[in-house]
Amino acid sequence: MNTLRLGLRTLRREWRLPELRTLAAALLLAVAALGAVATLAARVEAALLASAAELIGGDAGISDNRPLPPAVAAEAQRLALTVNRSSTFPSVAFNGTLSQLLDVRATDASYPLRGTLRLADAAGRIIDGRGPAAGTVDLDHRALVALDLTVGDRVQIGGRELTIGAEIVREPDGGELFAIAPRALMSLADAEAAGLLGTGSRVQHRLLVAGSAASVDEFVVWLKAHRPPDAELITPERTQQRLRIAFDRAGAFLRLSALLSALLAGVAIALSAQRYARRKTDEIALLRALGAPRGQVRALVLVTLLGMALPALLLGALLALGLSSAAWTLARGLLPGTAGGLPLLPALAAAIAGLALLLGFALPPLARLAEVAPVAVFRRGARQRVRALDALYLLPVLVAVGLAWFESGSFRLAGILAASLAGVAVIAALLATLLLALIRRLAPGAHPALRLGLAALARRRALSLIQATALALGLTALLLLAVIAPALLDRWRAELPADTPNWFALNIQDDQRMPVTTALDRLGARKLNRLPLAVGKLASINGVPVASVHFRDRATRDWAEQQLRLSWSAVLPPANTLVAGRWFTADPAQPQASVEQGWAQRFGVKLGDTLGFRIGEDTYTARVTSLRKVDWTSFRVNFFLLLDPAHARALPHSWLASWYLPPGNAPALAAFNRSYGNLSLIDVNALLDRVRDIIVRVTAAVRWVLGFSLLAGALVLAAALASSAAERRREAALLRTLGASSAQLRAAAAAEFALLGLIAGLTAALGAAATGAWIAASVMDLPDFVPPLPTLGLAALAAALGVMLLGLAGTRRVLATSPLALLRRG
Amino acid sequence: MTIAIPMLSARDVSKALVGPEGRIDILAGIDIEVATGASVAIVGASGSGKTTLLGLLAGLDLPSGGGIRLDGHALETLDEEARAALRRRLVGFVFQSFHLLPALTALENVMLPLELEGESAARRRAREALQAVGLDARCGHYPYQLSGGEQQRVALARAFVHRPRLLFADEPTGNLDRRTGAGVAELLFELNRAHATTLVLVTHDAALAARCGRTLELVDGRLVDGAPA
Repeated sequence: MNTLRLGLRTLRREWRLPELRTLAAALLLAVAALGAVATLAARVEAALLASAAELIGGDAGISDNRPLPPAVAAEAQRLALTVNRSSTFPSVAFNGTLSQLLDVRATDASYPLRGTLRLADAAGRIIDGRGPAAGTVDLDHRALVALDLTVGDRVQIGGRELTIGAEIVREPDGGELFAIAPRALMSLADAEAAGLLGTGSRVQHRLLVAGSAASVDEFVVWLKAHRPPDAELITPERTQQRLRIAFDRAGAFLRLSALLSALLAGVAIALSAQRYARRKTDEIALLRALGAPRGQVRALVLVTLLGMALPALLLGALLALGLSSAAWTLARGLLPGTAGGLPLLPALAAAIAGLALLLGFALPPLARLAEVAPVAVFRRGARQRVRALDALYLLPVLVAVGLAWFESGSFRLAGILAASLAGVAVIAALLATLLLALIRRLAPGAHPALRLGLAALARRRALSLIQATALALGLTALLLLAVIAPALLDRWRAELPADTPNWFALNIQDDQRMPVTTALDRLGARKLNRLPLAVGKLASINGVPVASVHFRDRATRDWAEQQLRLSWSAVLPPANTLVAGRWFTADPAQPQASVEQGWAQRFGVKLGDTLGFRIGEDTYTARVTSLRKVDWTSFRVNFFLLLDPAHARALPHSWLASWYLPPGNAPALAAFNRSYGNLSLIDVNALLDRVRDIIVRVTAAVRWVLGFSLLAGALVLAAALASSAAERRREAALLRTLGASSAQLRAAAAAEFALLGLIAGLTAALGAAATGAWIAASVMDLPDFVPPLPTLGLAALAAALGVMLLGLAGTRRVLATSPLALLRRG
Repeated sequence: MTIAIPMLSARDVSKALVGPEGRIDILAGIDIEVATGASVAIVGASGSGKTTLLGLLAGLDLPSGGGIRLDGHALETLDEEARAALRRRLVGFVFQSFHLLPALTALENVMLPLELEGESAARRRAREALQAVGLDARCGHYPYQLSGGEQQRVALARAFVHRPRLLFADEPTGNLDRRTGAGVAELLFELNRAHATTLVLVTHDAALAARCGRTLELVDGRLVDGAPA
């Protein structure tokens, strides 16, 4: 007997079987969902990276306080990347008797490689600019005000006379909250000629590149291996703490959605395979009785399965490509800024993942088929239970965890999902067992129709357990996507309400506090918040001068030598949480300090240590009395170091203010800045926009994925309900012959499905809430997320109702089964 | 003087199907009358229309022509629901393949007809019925744990448990060996006598048919000896 031919013949006969069709559909859907989501995720990620690249002015780069070796630029050129070289340094600019310390960027003409440099020309027109030509310099508004200059005037920087070409309105990398000095942009050639980049000057040299993703990746890999010891890599992911968190969350959302779709499909495949195995048992018993060896039976099942699966996998991959292509086109407005063709790799990877899903979830029940005893031909119940095959049921768990890990690239997300879904399965099975046992006790006293339905559920015990568990898993995944994910996104969005402060002002003097407040009120500024700000340097730790302290790396030492911003507050500021020690008492005997835990860790500072600061000419020593955790995503002004107000009040200080001003107020704000020329105004709208942009994009992408998941969920429901359809039909025909009315059959089915739905719905609601809270805290960095319990409760009830209605709809065919069929079967 | 209403009567009953090759007459001109408490065997070759006739007499299907009365109720005037209600109240079944529900224990299978009637003492009565067929020790067993003969005895207990007035048996010994079949047949007739049930039996087995009060033979959809009893 040619196994291949027999397998294909079997397939031709069986491909119409509902369970094989469900299996194929689940497989197709899983591959399409995984492929489309992966392509879409790649696209969203590319768009997000592009967005972040705009913030740093390039795709990647390197920065060092020593000139970069020529090999770096050579490697970038070898990879055909566009290169921008720039250096930043402080320098004093002069206009006659006026002078101002500037934060200067000297760059070649390619600046910026990504994003736009907004300039205002002499007439005040806003134009997109490039790095200035030799002999010219661009200054920001503060510099112009401080030096009493306008565009077209001449200014002296580093001993060279330069013409002011334009006013800097916005730089691509202007998202840093604290750029204390006014900004200047000059040509790299001028800076080199003026000797501004010589040894001894505080210069940061930077080389940025832009180009194809593959080349940039290769360049980054090369940089990691060949960078000078203290040089710092610049990548979009590493650049901004706030953006990095947004990236992480965005990625987690997309991965979670794709994974859940795939796992749902896995459950549908497992259910279908089990139903198919039950149907095939008689046939296999016959084949075994006719002398087919186990190996041949195994080969036959495998050929049939693969014969059906391979076209489904192929079709799924093609569908994934088609869908991604459609999504690509439709979402062009949503995901601008990325070029390139449709990547084929995700669809191929999805097809391979689909094959793993098929083998992982379908193999356990099908492998048992080869163990069907030939004697089962005579007695259907005569089945051997091969204990060794029990281990096969670990396979779906392993495949699920493997897939989760592969898809998410994160052990944590994979682990949480696997543990949560396993928990849901166990709870559903336990709850179902408990209820079934309860039913056995309570059913005799119930209404006859109800009793019949409940009894049916209790009697098909194993099947009911499988159904309840599968439904619970399916509903958990659906609730996670339909209720938890949007709630998480809302919670994330709520971190950045529309009136999040978008402007900051530094350097407000004591006597300017009231007039500045009044002026800002008049402009319509909201959420105005003022904080004292003293600028100093860390002088000693526990009495040891900083110069003698051994720091763990050079970056920490550099940091220790930089200016330090100190503030004080009587109460713990919002977005801060105390993690150790106690907050300042009202009137402490000696100065106290509260330190951000990351800073404390980096500098090896513990509670009770003393920190010495040099502020102006004075030295100020404070004891560390508390450690704080700071939410850096909050877009509030936060400080590594806070001092107790009772002592710090006397320190020389200025004020810093933050407020929200609706867009379109730039001219009024420019006038305000002219009135208070000493103030440094910082615009964080660009950064806020980026983060909001990421949230919007992720929300849209998740909505796309949700469509797949809903389909996969519907398949699970259908497969779960169909798994008992044959028994149900036989039972209904017999009951009909014995005189059951259709109302009795319907009521029985309704009771049965409602109970199944209730078990599944309740477990799923609890499971989704717990998983949601866990993912929020551990993966999304949203620790105070509270799952929307009332919505989940309603959704659970709706699920129970949905399962009941779906079940009843399925029963219509069962009710229509002629009782005569029973007689015909003998 | 009272006129005895027959338990079951069929007048000029016919059944035809329209298939791809045109109209096929399965049954034609069937006249039967079965008095209360009587036993009738319907015999015939395979494909002669026995099972179709049984289905029509039990109200599982409707004839294409003619009329059937079950305990005085004209089946053709009743919808499926009403016919089901009639079966529930009056009819018991024994099938060739037993048709026990595999997921139910012997006791639960026997309880089924009582549960359909909403009988509160279903469990006790089902246990008694199993006792009557000698299987009270096998109450908790599932069908696959029972032999063919035992399964058919459970089916007999289920058929009689709600004390039907009319029992339809379709080849009740067809799936059993001669000795077991004889035992089951013995039990069937014994229960039939004990409950004074009217019996309509379809069989190939001449010996079994001979134990009935009357035998009707179906040949190509027509009763050869179709004279009313």
